[in-house]
Amino acid sequence: MRYGFVIDQRRCIGCHACTVACKEENQVPLGAFRTWVKYVERGTFPNTRRSFAVLRCNHCDRAPCVTICPTVALYRRPDGIVDFDGDRCIGCKSCMQACPYDALYIDPNTRTAAKCHYCAHRVEVGLEPACVIVCPEQAIVAGDLDDPGSRIARLVAREPVQVRKAEQGTRPKVYYLGADAGALVPQLQSTTDRYLWAERPEGELDLVRMVAAVQEDQGDGALSRPVYDVPHLPRPWGRKVSAYLWAKSIAAGPLLIASVAVLGGGAPSGGLFGIAAPALALLFLLATTALLVLDLKRPERFHYILFKANYRSSLVWGAWILIAYGGVAALWLASVLAGAGELVRFLALPALVLAGASAGYSAFLFGQAEGRDFWQSSLLLPQLLVAALVAGAASLLIVGFVSGADLRGLWTLSMVMAVALLLQGLVLTAELLVPHASLDAARAAALITRGEWKTPFWGGVIAAGTALPIVLVWPTPYSAALGGALALAGLWIYEDLWVKAGQSVPLS
Amino acid sequence: MSATDPRAPEPLHPVARELAPPRGGLRSYPPVERWDDWEEYDPAAWPRKVTRRYALIPTICFNCEAACGLLAYVDKQTLGIQKFEGNPAHPGSRGRNCAKGPATLNQVNDPERIRYPLRRVGPRGGGQWERVSWDEALDDVSRRIRTALVEGRHKEIMYHLGRPGHELVYLQRVFHAWGIDGHNSHTNVCSSSARAGYAFWHGMDRPSPDHANARFILLLSSHLETGHYFNPHAQRIIEAKERGARVCVIDSRLSNTASMADWWLAPWPGSESALLLAMASVLVRERLYDREFVRRWVNWEEYVRAERPDLPVSFEAFEQALGELYARYTPEFAENESGVPAATLVEVARTIGSAGSALATHVWRNAAAGNLGGWQVARALELIVVLMGAVATPGGTAPSAWNKAVPAPPLMPPPAKVWSELLMPREYPLAFFEMSYLLPHFLKEGRGKLAVYFTRVYNPVWTNPDGMSWIEVLTDPEKIELHACLTPIWSETAWFADYVLPMGHASERHDLMSQETHAARWIGFRQPVLRVMLERQGKTFDLTWQAHEAAGLGQVWEEDEFWIELSWRIDPDGSLGVRKYFESPDRPGQKLRIEELYRWIFEHSVPGLPEAAAKEGLTPLAYMRKYGAFLVEDQVYHTHEQPLSADELHGAQVDPVTKVVVKGGQAVGLEVDGVPRLGFPTPSRRLEFFSRTLKEWKWPEQAVPSYIRSHVHWSKIDRAKGEMVLLPTFRLPTLIHTRSGNAKWLYEISHTNPLWLHPEDAARLAVVTGDLLKVTTAIGYFVDRVWATEAIRPGVIACSHHLGRWRLHRDAGGERWSTALVDLQQVERGKWRMRQREGVRPFASDDPDSARIWWTEAGVHQNLTFPVQPDPLSGQHCWHQKVTVAKAGADDRYGDIVVDTNKSFEVYREWLTLARPAPGPGNLRRPLWLPRPFTPDPSAYSLGGSAGVE
Repeated sequence: MRYGFVIDQRRCIGCHACTVACKEENQVPLGAFRTWVKYVERGTFPNTRRSFAVLRCNHCDRAPCVTICPTVALYRRPDGIVDFDGDRCIGCKSCMQACPYDALYIDPNTRTAAKCHYCAHRVEVGLEPACVIVCPEQAIVAGDLDDPGSRIARLVAREPVQVRKAEQGTRPKVYYLGADAGALVPQLQSTTDRYLWAERPEGELDLVRMVAAVQEDQGDGALSRPVYDVPHLPRPWGRKVSAYLWAKSIAAGPLLIASVAVLGGGAPSGGLFGIAAPALALLFLLATTALLVLDLKRPERFHYILFKANYRSSLVWGAWILIAYGGVAALWLASVLAGAGELVRFLALPALVLAGASAGYSAFLFGQAEGRDFWQSSLLLPQLLVAALVAGAASLLIVGFVSGADLRGLWTLSMVMAVALLLQGLVLTAELLVPHASLDAARAAALITRGEWKTPFWGGVIAAGTALPIVLVWPTPYSAALGGALALAGLWIYEDLWVKAGQSVPLS
Repeated sequence: MSATDPRAPEPLHPVARELAPPRGGLRSYPPVERWDDWEEYDPAAWPRKVTRRYALIPTICFNCEAACGLLAYVDKQTLGIQKFEGNPAHPGSRGRNCAKGPATLNQVNDPERIRYPLRRVGPRGGGQWERVSWDEALDDVSRRIRTALVEGRHKEIMYHLGRPGHELVYLQRVFHAWGIDGHNSHTNVCSSSARAGYAFWHGMDRPSPDHANARFILLLSSHLETGHYFNPHAQRIIEAKERGARVCVIDSRLSNTASMADWWLAPWPGSESALLLAMASVLVRERLYDREFVRRWVNWEEYVRAERPDLPVSFEAFEQALGELYARYTPEFAENESGVPAATLVEVARTIGSAGSALATHVWRNAAAGNLGGWQVARALELIVVLMGAVATPGGTAPSAWNKAVPAPPLMPPPAKVWSELLMPREYPLAFFEMSYLLPHFLKEGRGKLAVYFTRVYNPVWTNPDGMSWIEVLTDPEKIELHACLTPIWSETAWFADYVLPMGHASERHDLMSQETHAARWIGFRQPVLRVMLERQGKTFDLTWQAHEAAGLGQVWEEDEFWIELSWRIDPDGSLGVRKYFESPDRPGQKLRIEELYRWIFEHSVPGLPEAAAKEGLTPLAYMRKYGAFLVEDQVYHTHEQPLSADELHGAQVDPVTKVVVKGGQAVGLEVDGVPRLGFPTPSRRLEFFSRTLKEWKWPEQAVPSYIRSHVHWSKIDRAKGEMVLLPTFRLPTLIHTRSGNAKWLYEISHTNPLWLHPEDAARLAVVTGDLLKVTTAIGYFVDRVWATEAIRPGVIACSHHLGRWRLHRDAGGERWSTALVDLQQVERGKWRMRQREGVRPFASDDPDSARIWWTEAGVHQNLTFPVQPDPLSGQHCWHQKVTVAKAGADDRYGDIVVDTNKSFEVYREWLTLARPAPGPGNLRRPLWLPRPFTPDPSAYSLGGSAGVE
């Protein structure tokens, strides 16, 4: 059994009854929508037409929101409905990044994620969803796609249907009849900063202006003009998430370098590798964890990640990795402090693996954020590892400089940083300048390379944060430490831009 | 796919793992037998299964005029209403609703609503109020009315309403019992011209298209998104479309309806009747019309006799005359007038010709309400219907009254022998109906004063043109001695009342409804669901407000009972002859209880209802309480063809020339080809292509469907001088006039009314979307934003009339979901200036959503800047405005309004000179046959001395 929807846009008159009936049935607060009607217009007078599209959760058979949700708050029922359980939700908003359809929001009353759930509470007592029964035109058809006799199955069998973003591989179960591609496909639409009878919230307008500026055609060649849409929460993830990425690089980097050094036969108990590296790791792991928890809408439920875990979610794996890594770092530090530095030789390999995993697991997490094409990059893992190297070398250099450590040791670190920065330059160039397979990813990259953020990127990340630190490696270890500070700053700017850009292109 | 299906990963959530095996198909509504006690899971607790128990009690939506069914889910524990769904037992809406149906919940739970009767303290409009009891309010108001009646000042009592329920019967009963002519409506700012156009054709003043069975649908309306009757019509239009019907929409603006049509014709405003007559001309010239129908049912003989004495009285001669009459309306002429290509028009006309008698059409406001002479738009549209023989056919267009059921109440009083010239002045003898929006000018001219003025769910200050003139008279206690406002919510008008009396929403009142939604006749029963619920639990209440108070709603009441109580107090001892109409039919001498009234109606006045109820073992009242609606008759067609019965013919005579069947001095039918049939309620009992009434009442040149160039015809607009036509009347799918400002879910969707402007005009004015434009009318100007769009004819601007609500006080006097806070100043006598201090802002209330308001604009109140423009014949306010449009200046701000009421009075006097006043033949104020609500006694029609108060 698989419940799905057919939305017959040949019948839909754009009346918004479904929108309001849904709000009533599910007590959806202002500013949030579980289903909504988008309007677009095409043509020139008098050959003009307005088209509508009823948009909502697609109850995907391969639902990325279910995969990414760390606490099984989102789940696919055996009858095909993708439902959610607010009592398990920690408010991490990763589902909002995973969904390519803009279907999720955070309910301000419960501070947990919500979306269309096919009125599962009604289905349970044998009733159709509220939007289906209110529709004056019976344009929304609900039913079992697997029952060949059902109306919905017959429609899907006999009529030409479309789905939104089939290329995302989500196997959506909302099928459109007679829909206008100009309404379903956001990439075909021009931009607008207000609608025919509604405003757009200020937060959206910034994005609209930015994205419009990098559109090659300035929207002139667009198929359709959006004339009505509901507000969508721009950028669920903010500075706390970019700071988390940055802090995590600093947590992972020092022990990554130290463990390589130890495995390569270096002295395990030296000041920088013996104490500073694990101490930095522990300190910044603490910061990483704090940022992660603070970014949750329900921070007090943080432990659900461990105790109500979805083992398919990279967020869960990340939590375990960070815990394990913290444990190894703590042992490392404890061994050295307890004068048993030789034990570190046994910790070096696990530390290497876990530091790499700590730095790199985010590639899998952002990879599960399937709504954001820009983040779906195979270069993300190398970028994160290189970032950890840069951050590790830079932070150790700074500590070394501050603590007046052995200058020869710092020289090696400087060289590591220079090489890592060189690699970083290559990876970022490849990431941003190599043509992107998807338009959304290309637009996000363009925001960084030639749009709103070109100055912080070229000036801050590339010139001041990558090239200059490389140059500063040579004069003295002191200048190398200064370079390290610049490299960390550049890294911070990059993570911030990367997190913002990925969320700047509209999903619907 | 099952849980073990390899395509799906194993569900991890406990609920998903434990899910019971799926059952069969889903149903749309709970089964009726369980409406009394229905269990559902709490959506907020889900997926925890928290069971909630509801009683499902039907009522009728109170937002637009369609009277769709609602089903209130009343929580049995909390007595709160959980939600409103559609009522599947309702024949018109069939269980479905538009956005405004579910939004009723917002209105019921609105933290801004008025819960107790309020009395003004300090000057009127000063904003100081005190809570009073219903007794105090009733005593004061009834005393004033009684005094006026005793002193013979019957014309000084006026009741002005926006949305009619079944008032036309219920209130006729009340006001005729009082002996007054005091019913005032919003009709003349809405539908007068369409009504006139239809009434002169067939004596009934509305169309009732049978969309579901149509092969061609021709709309000068936007029935897929708004209007009379949006939801029921939209359902049936799409049904027909899916079955292959073709749809043509004539609208200068691209509505959603036009978007869905096969043809969108966007004419110059005011040229619509030229367009329609040219289509008619194609049908005539190409002989595509139904000759037999026209021969049998059109008053062609009367036309030929009166207008073409040169021709023999034969149908062929009429056809010749018809051809000659419309020969000048060539497609090319229409193209020149309207801008619609001649070839398109011919294509549409021929497609109509091939649809035969399955031609469904509608015009209600749109071009009819916009233009001087707009009533001829309806005449011209109906000409096409008549030519196609599509009157009251399957898929055709019937007169409204045949598709309505109007049950009679017990003991109707005789008509009053009073004629109020404040309502129906002699300048407008053919108006449909009361010249409501001229009231301020009449009062200023000293035509009378009002002792008691009720407004009911009506907001003339905001809705009517020239609202500043309304404020001027409302604040003048010499002109209006007492203003009582019956309303669920604050409004711009309520602010200027002496009493603000809270009345209930859809689920808080009784009303009996019937609308011509399709080819059937039904009734719907609006009921106060909380009272019904409490009474089911064994509690009893004298009055609905007491039940509401018990349910925690405050002392919110309903009009039905209010009128009974008021009437009782006007005539406590029965000496005025009023009281007897408000006594119980069951308990002699006792005051009528509302339940007794409806019990009587359902038992005596609804054919078939007692039998249907008996089948279920219910009383008729219990049946209506349970189902909320009853289908009186389905498949109503060809009513005019009904043969007269032997009873009806007993003592009747047939006029040898006209073939009209006359009985007791009244025309009751028509002999067609030797068979006496019902016919139409016109003087000729036929469809009146030629209106003798129009000719005799000084409009001979307009006696047949013809084309009047509107006051905003393109020839009167000089675009080089910045002049444009403003279409200020279109609705949005989500809002309803001034009644939906309390619905947060609707305002969240739509909250601005920018000026639709074609990009060509935007370029000329050097503006882009979002810029400010200053729109200057004959009496002032307003400032609004631009919405540049290809969805409007170049040279025309359009602005929805739904937005632009305001309030004068920060925390009172208007719904904060939807009003801007404004400064209103009279800078010198008659010169008014309004400026928005702030738009819509979040506010603290019991509803956490009020702090989440994210929109900031409330729209712009354009109507304030419109002078009154009464059509000299129909009395319709001609809404379209000739305006000058320019980029806003540095001092102009969004929402600015400037108006000079001295100028508006001058414009009123100018338009008054166009009128052709009574008396007509027989020294009458109005033709006796012409419809008029609350029809007074015939003696009151005469200007010949004996009429007046007796």
